[in-house]
Formats: sequence, C-alpha cells, structure tokens
Amino acid sequence: MKAPVSWIKEYVDTSLSVTKLAEKLSEVGIGVEAIETHENETVFDLEITPNRPDWYSIIGIAREVAALENKKILLTIPPIPKPKKTLPFTIHNNVELLEHYSGVLIDGVEPKESPAWLVKRLKQVRLRPINAIVDVTNYVMFELGIPLHAFDYDQIQGHEFFVEKARGGERFTTVDNATYTLPKDAIIIKDKNRIVDLVGIKGGLNSGISSKTKRILLQTSYDNPVLIRRASQALSLRSDASTILEKGVDKNGMMGALSRAVELILKTAGGEIASEVIDLKDELFAPWKLNVRSKRLDKILGIEISQKQVLSILENLNLSPKVIKDSIECTIPTYRNDLKIEEDLIEEVARHFGYNRFPLTLPAGTIPTIPIPYAKPYKMENIIKNLMKASGFSEIYTYSLVSEKDIEEHGINSEECLRIDNPVSREYEYLRLHLYPQLMKAFRQNKVVSKTIELFELGKVYSGRSIKEAKENYALCAISNAKSFLHMKGIFQRLYSDLGIKEEVTLDVVRITNQWVLIESVISPLFEKAIHHTSFKLIPQYPPIIEDIALVVPQSVKTGGIIEAIKKQSGLIEDVSLLDRFEDTRTFHIIYQSRERNLTTVEVSRIREKILSYLKKTLRTQLKERA
Amino acid sequence: MEEELINTKNTALSFILEAKGERELEEIRLQFLGKSGKLTLTIKGIAKLPIEKRPEIGVLANDVKKQIEDALGRKLEELLSQTTINCDIDQTDPGIPSPIGHLHPTTQVLNETIDIFKTIGFQVADGPEIETDYYNFEALNIPKDHPSRDTQQTLFLDTRNTNITPGEIILRTQTSAMQGRIMEKIKPPLRVIVPGKVYRYEQVDASHGFEFWQLEGFMIDKNVTLTDLFGTLTYFLKQLFGEDTKVRFTCHNFPFVEPGVEAYMSCSVCKGKGCGFCKKTGWVEVLGAGMIHPNVLKTAKIDPKEWQGFAFGTGFSRIIALTYQINDLRTLTNPDVRVLKQF
Repeated sequence: MKAPVSWIKEYVDTSLSVTKLAEKLSEVGIGVEAIETHENETVFDLEITPNRPDWYSIIGIAREVAALENKKILLTIPPIPKPKKTLPFTIHNNVELLEHYSGVLIDGVEPKESPAWLVKRLKQVRLRPINAIVDVTNYVMFELGIPLHAFDYDQIQGHEFFVEKARGGERFTTVDNATYTLPKDAIIIKDKNRIVDLVGIKGGLNSGISSKTKRILLQTSYDNPVLIRRASQALSLRSDASTILEKGVDKNGMMGALSRAVELILKTAGGEIASEVIDLKDELFAPWKLNVRSKRLDKILGIEISQKQVLSILENLNLSPKVIKDSIECTIPTYRNDLKIEEDLIEEVARHFGYNRFPLTLPAGTIPTIPIPYAKPYKMENIIKNLMKASGFSEIYTYSLVSEKDIEEHGINSEECLRIDNPVSREYEYLRLHLYPQLMKAFRQNKVVSKTIELFELGKVYSGRSIKEAKENYALCAISNAKSFLHMKGIFQRLYSDLGIKEEVTLDVVRITNQWVLIESVISPLFEKAIHHTSFKLIPQYPPIIEDIALVVPQSVKTGGIIEAIKKQSGLIEDVSLLDRFEDTRTFHIIYQSRERNLTTVEVSRIREKILSYLKKTLRTQLKERA
Repeated sequence: MEEELINTKNTALSFILEAKGERELEEIRLQFLGKSGKLTLTIKGIAKLPIEKRPEIGVLANDVKKQIEDALGRKLEELLSQTTINCDIDQTDPGIPSPIGHLHPTTQVLNETIDIFKTIGFQVADGPEIETDYYNFEALNIPKDHPSRDTQQTLFLDTRNTNITPGEIILRTQTSAMQGRIMEKIKPPLRVIVPGKVYRYEQVDASHGFEFWQLEGFMIDKNVTLTDLFGTLTYFLKQLFGEDTKVRFTCHNFPFVEPGVEAYMSCSVCKGKGCGFCKKTGWVEVLGAGMIHPNVLKTAKIDPKEWQGFAFGTGFSRIIALTYQINDLRTLTNPDVRVLKQF
C-alpha cells in the first residue's frame, strides 16, 4: 500500500525524519519496502500483512506512529446532518452476508472534478481520479480502511435493494465495463429487476455514478470475508476493496466511514441529506477483554520488562490496560480483530518495546539425542558426493518438474509419472521418474564448451501411477565421456564399500553411446543398509596363494555368475576378479587366503578341482587346454 | 664364511637402498669396502681358510663386492640424477589439473549450514515434497480461505483414478510442513532443521522460481524464549556470513508463530553500503521466524502450557546466492561446467 508521509502527518504530529520513521514502522511490523516520490511528496510503499486490515489505511498507520511517539490521533468527524426531506428507499438485508450495513441518500449532488488536494492524494496512492463522488469513496477507503460504494439513486429500480447470494452463472457488468459470469455464493445486491452490485468487489455499470447523477445512495458494509475472498478468487478479480474486506474490517467502522464520506461529498459535490441514516446490524460489536499474565510475558520473551513500561505500551496502543492481580486486562477496540490470544498481546508489548533492544541468547537446556523421525542421511549423501567429486564428476541440481516431451522422448510413458494439475507451464508438468533425461540434456548443453564432461546428480525421483502410490526416492545418476562403463561401475562399487555394503551393485539404468556412458541407480535403499562404521579386519598374517585360471566360457554365461560360483566353493577364497578377456577365454584371478595358517598347495589344488568341476557342470565352462 | 658374506651383502644392500644422500652413501662404502671395512676384513680372512675352500669362497666374495659396488654406483647415479632434474624445472609452468570434480554450491552451503546448527544441538530432517494440504497449511494454523495462502500459490497433484479430493495433495510450498510431521511423532525437547525443495505457482525470473530450496528450523523446550530465537538466528548468520555481519529484526506476521519476526542482515555483497542486491538499502531480508503459535503445538498434541518454542524459515536458494554473490537464482540450476567449476 502507498502511504504519503504528509497524509500520515495530517493525523499525528511527528518530528521523526522520513528514514527514522520508515525504520520504526518496519520494526513494529509495517514493512516499508521503498521510499518513493509521487506528486513531489514522499510516499512509503508498505507491505501490509494479512492479519492487519486496519493498516490498509492512513489512519491505521498514523495510530501506530502515535503509539510509538506517545501522541494522540487528530481527526474529528462531524455527525451526518439531519435530513430535510426523505426519499423512498428500502433494503432487505441478510445479516449472514452483510453483518453490518450503513447507508444514506444525498440529493442534489454535482459529480464534477475533484479539488486539487483530493486529486493529489488519489494519484499518490496510485488511483485514477474519476469524479468528486467516486473519488471521495476511494479517499475515505484509504483514509479509514473502510470501503464504500455510491449508487446513482435514480438508476435503482423500485428504490429497493435485495442482498443475496448468487446462484452461479448470472452475468454482471462492472462499473469499469467488464462482464463476468458470477460464481455461486458471491454476495450480490439486486434492485427490483437487476444485479446492481457485486458486493465488496465491484459495483455495477448499470447503477454507477455518471456526470448526470443528481441523487446518490452512499453505503458501506461489513461483508462476510470468506465469501468475498472465494468470489474474488473464482473471478480472478481483485479490487482495493476486496483486498481489505476479505481480511475482515472493523465491524464498528461503518458509521465513521459513512459520516466522513458524507462530510467530504457535501463539501466537494454539494447536495443535501435526503434520508434517515440506515444502520442495520444484529449485534453491538462491542470491544472484548483479553488478559496477559506478567509471568507468561517474561517466559515467552526471555526478558523482564517493567510493568510500568508494559502498561504504557498497551495504553499507547489504545488497549486500555488494567492491572488485575498478576495479570493485565486489556479492552480490545473492534479494529484490532487480530488480537485474540494472550500471545498476541505479548507480541504487542515486544514489538513496541523494540525487537532490536532484546539481548541475544543461545538456548539453554539439554541437547536432544534421540534420533528424530525423517532424519536426513546427509552424512551418507556426503560420502557419495565426495566420492563422485574425487572421481572427476561435477555435481548439478536440476528441476524435479519436467515436460511431457522430456519424458516421452526417452520412451517413458507419461502415464507412469505423477502429474501437476495446474503447472506453471507445460514445460514443468510432470515429476521426474528418473534423473538421466536431465543429465543427458546437461551433457548436450556442455558439448560446445567443454571436451571432458563428467556430471552427476544426487536427487529425488518420484514414482507412482497415481498419487495413492506416490513414492519419493533418492537416485544417483552419472554421465561421462571420459570413462568406460567398467570404470563407472567401479566407482559405484567403491561407493557401496564406503557405505559398508557388501553386495553386488544394482544399476537401474545403463546407457552407452559412442559419446558417453551413463548409469543411474536408486540409492535410498542403500541408506537403510549402510553401516556407519565397519569393523576393522586384521591384515592376514599368513601369505596368500594366488593363481590365475583361464577358462573357456560360452558367450551367454555372465562373468558375474562365474565369480559368484567360484566364491561359493570355499571359505578360503578371499577374492575373485576378472583379469583378462580374449575371444572365448576369460582369465580369473583367484586369491586363496587363510587367517589361521599357511595354505598348502595340496589344499588349494583340491579347491581348484572343486571349482572346475562345479563350473563344468553348471555353467558349461572349463579350463582352457594349454597350447 | 659363506653365510657371513651373504649377510654382509644383504645388510649393505638394504643400507644403500635407504641412503638419503651422497655423504651417507660414502659412509656406507667405507663401512663395507674401506680399508677396515666389513667386507674387506672378511676377504682378508679367506687366506686363513683351507686351500681347497679358497677358490669357491673367493668367487663368492668377488661377486658380493661387485654387487655392493654396483648398488653404490646405481644409488649414487639415482641421487645425483634427482638433484639435476629438480634444478631444470621451470616452476612457473602451469600445474596439471587433477581430474577432480566440483560440488554444487547448494551442497556446499548446505553442509556449512548443517555444521553450524549441529554445534548448537540441532538434528537434520528430510521429508516428503508431495505433501498434504493438512501439514502444509492446516496444521500450521492456516485454515482454508485464509488470506495468507495468497502469498504461497500452490501446485496441486493430479487426483485422477483416486478418491482423493482435488487440491488435498500438493507439492509442499514450505519446509515448515515438516513441523507437524515431526512434532506429532516425537516428544520435545526438539531441535530440528529441515532443508529441502519447495514449489510455488510462480513465474521464473532472476529472484523467483517455481522450484527452489528452503531451510526450516524449529526448537521446542520448556523455556525457549524470543531472546533465544534472536540469538540463534544471529549466530547462524554470523557463522555463515562472517562475524562483522549485522542483523536486524522486525515484527512480521506468519499464522504459525506469535510473536512473529522477520530477520534482515547487512548485505553481504556490498557490506551494507547499498547495491543492486539489497535494492540500495544495505539490508537483505533473509529469514521469517517467531515463537511457535500455541495452536500449532495443540494440533500436534503438545501442551502449550508446558512446552514452548521457536521456528524459522529461510529461502535457502537466496542464502546460497548471497554467499557467492550470485545475482540470478537460475544460476543454481544451470549445469554449465563454466558455472560448476567456480565452486
């Protein structure tokens, strides 16, 4: 919201400099985002939080300044004059929709151009001046934070209003000549025949103020905030009025705003009061009591503020504090709808005491040691990331949201992927099932700038055909144009061993082209299996016996199967690896090792016989005859 | 005698192997081959052997002598050659880069952040990005139709083929969603940080994105105070950005805290002088925070009469950007190696 400093100063006398004022306002919660100049005067651009609709007004800002500076608000509004005549008008209100309705008729107005002071204010708050009547309603909305609306009385058919909920589907043209189809439950006002007002959002073109208008109905109301918000959202139509009303304005503020608007209209557009004031409400909207205990105040804030100072702060905020035993009872004015619980009052004291006057402490108490649920396996992630880095890979972070094209060009059916109902764009419509499409994209992007490209990502992948089956897992994907598949697999094997996992690596995706090798694996299960500190094994004290066996292996038999088979034959086989591969011959390097004694050649030859006979029987693999 | 010769040879060879310099090598030569050297003395002793043994031992002794001399020669050459090469090197020639990759700035700043919070007893949690409206909003005192939802435009998941109400399953808009999930599963005292991805319906530009990182933190104990919150946030920012960082607090409203706080720090780019980063103000908004609202505790079945706490959240992508003076958040998802190798 825009707030001209000179306008604020109309209601409160302050000697603070503009920068000091901006700093103080920000500290108490009215964020001064920028200090601008409009119409040759200083204007604050304010960020107003949704809990303080009263701050969507110059008077609200002025009240805060007054509280900071221990000053009083300067504004007196004269009462609405008694009518000299009475024009007919009836309203059938629904208090569930409009909890409080106030209105009055004025006869003999001239909706001419507004005076210069009014035009200046509207321009400063970025509003377009229209005519003296509309301008006054806007001015008072900014001044007091209560939206008002003026109708051309002669356009109200039957001089009768009906407050209703829209059935949905009705067409309505707003005062700025845009036509909308109304959503169900929008609050509307109808005259005898037509919808004349989309309450709290925009008035109707059919009953707005024109240059020919002579008689007006001026009204303001407290509208059901939820219904205002829903209608405004459904229509994607926000106005200054709806922005305030959806947050709930002062239920008691109607008469003040109406009186102020009447005062200014009579001054700028002329005319005379032509009806009794209509003021419809079922309740009194009385102020309410709220207590704050001194002990609780100190316990939450962590400092002791003297009772005198607490009382002075609350008094300055118009909260009428009274000491009752160990607590302070406040009387909350109706414009402070945000004050509902004790902690709200604690905040009032704290922010006006000054957040930046608080001492800084670090929490005392015991440090929690019980493992928390959802613990992040960041130590394991770092083991993996550091290994990848040491192996030459650079880390990237890519978006989890991808396009249908990204998915389908890799032969993945988009039906397999979770979808967003309202994506920002079609580019970011699906949750990724794999990391590799984006690693390949990143590779392509880098081809022009780098010869060696080695990239990895450790990130989430999302699976499930519907959200009922949705699962999130961490995956690791690496792409390289400098390493072979076996080098890449070797890194993954080392990764397993660094995590203390003794099993064959699982690779979910392996892609090899003439340009690069890529592998991807879901690694969340590894976090479960990892052993934090593996136990140390003594270096063997007896020498191993090492031998290389050349085997003739049918093409269809996998090396992994042979290694597994060999290992199974004896507990004395410490390690088996593939040494060489040539045509149909694969040479295996076998290490025999005992931790208790020296192995004899006889022992080893017995194991070797067992290996060979087993391989021959099960894998059609046999010892290569020496040439 | 045969054995003695072989032992002498082995000892000499191992000494030579270990020799560190020319002088040491000369000492070894004297020790074995000098006038009163060990081998010299042994050879002299051959004369005392029976005549038929002398040729055999003589051959062996000569062989041993030759081996020691050869080893000395080789070692001397090796020692001399090492010095020579060192002298020839142009030390200003560029080094050959190690084939080591780079960790992403997100990872690096995250690790620093975790380290900082670990020193004051915080544990690190992770959590689902596919979240329910309940944990993301309702459990945080943000009922449906609450105007503060406007500041967090939400991405909804497709509910086709399920009986789930559209709009109930979302991509989390804030890591604060983890407050409820953790609080309802474990009793206080709690000190937790939650780094992670969040999603918003927002168009991408230099300072906004639909997918970015946040860091949530919260602490619950019997006597956690607002001064503790101010102290903890100041500690974090000073540890990460340097001791001379200034921190300023303002009042703010978030429905899940009361009192509410917003933290600003002196701009790390211009050191508070004013620049494009801080819109010439010298200050950048870095954290939203506050004392946990009693309604949030009650919803998680924690008694607000007994327990109290603070919570804070930060746009972590922004913290990373500030750490390295990155002026466009999109840099953090750009896989260009020219970006990556700077970190």
